[in-house]
Amino acid sequence: MRNYENLVIVKPTLTAEEIQASVKAIEEVITSNGGEIAATSPMGMRKLAYPIDKNERGYYHVIYSSITPSAISEIERRFRINEDLLRFVTIKYDTNREIAAFNTMVEKAKKAAEAPAKVETPVVETPATEAPVAEEAPAVETEAPVATEAAAE
Amino acid sequence: MAEKRKYKKRYCKYCEAKVDFMDYKDAGALRFSLSERYKIMPRRLTGNCKRHQDMIAVVIKRARAAALVPYTVTRKAVVTAPFENLK
Repeated sequence: MRNYENLVIVKPTLTAEEIQASVKAIEEVITSNGGEIAATSPMGMRKLAYPIDKNERGYYHVIYSSITPSAISEIERRFRINEDLLRFVTIKYDTNREIAAFNTMVEKAKKAAEAPAKVETPVVETPATEAPVAEEAPAVETEAPVATEAAAE
Repeated sequence: MAEKRKYKKRYCKYCEAKVDFMDYKDAGALRFSLSERYKIMPRRLTGNCKRHQDMIAVVIKRARAAALVPYTVTRKAVVTAPFENLK
């Protein structure tokens, strides 16, 4: 097993649910080929440095995983068939220095995945505990999720 | 030589920061070793050491493949950028 990082760019023309579905399908391809996903980090919709297939934007998603080297060619073949993908980049982390960097990036991705959850929990708690101040609080709370959704899109 | 150097010969910025690994996804950090037309800057201008120049070259090429950094910039894009900065 070796550490790999797969960056995939999903077509921006799909809806948010379709993007999530295709990202799940991509992760499924890795796990079905004997890969173990260590962490994922959605970079979200961002502008491409140059248009790919006449698309100016793309949804970036990074998957850190440990995969057997022989399975990589099969995974890349499946990526090439997938029409939802604009581009994929597979990076190998082999030397000690690279593996150390890989582990720090995995931890960072895991923390980033936990952070939004932490933001969400007070949103749920505050209306219950601070019922009298509810008039002011929900206004702020409702804005925050909308802002994060807009950023995600 | 009467001709002056355009850039000073400098120490390696990455050695000073003790960079062991560069992440291609952090496009902002690559800007130092890229020209305004997004060419990879030569070592004689940036002062990078050989080891870090080799690292940054690989990382920039990865970032280009991932559409995080452009391969080339047209004349139009180069001209419009300074005006955006002024506003």
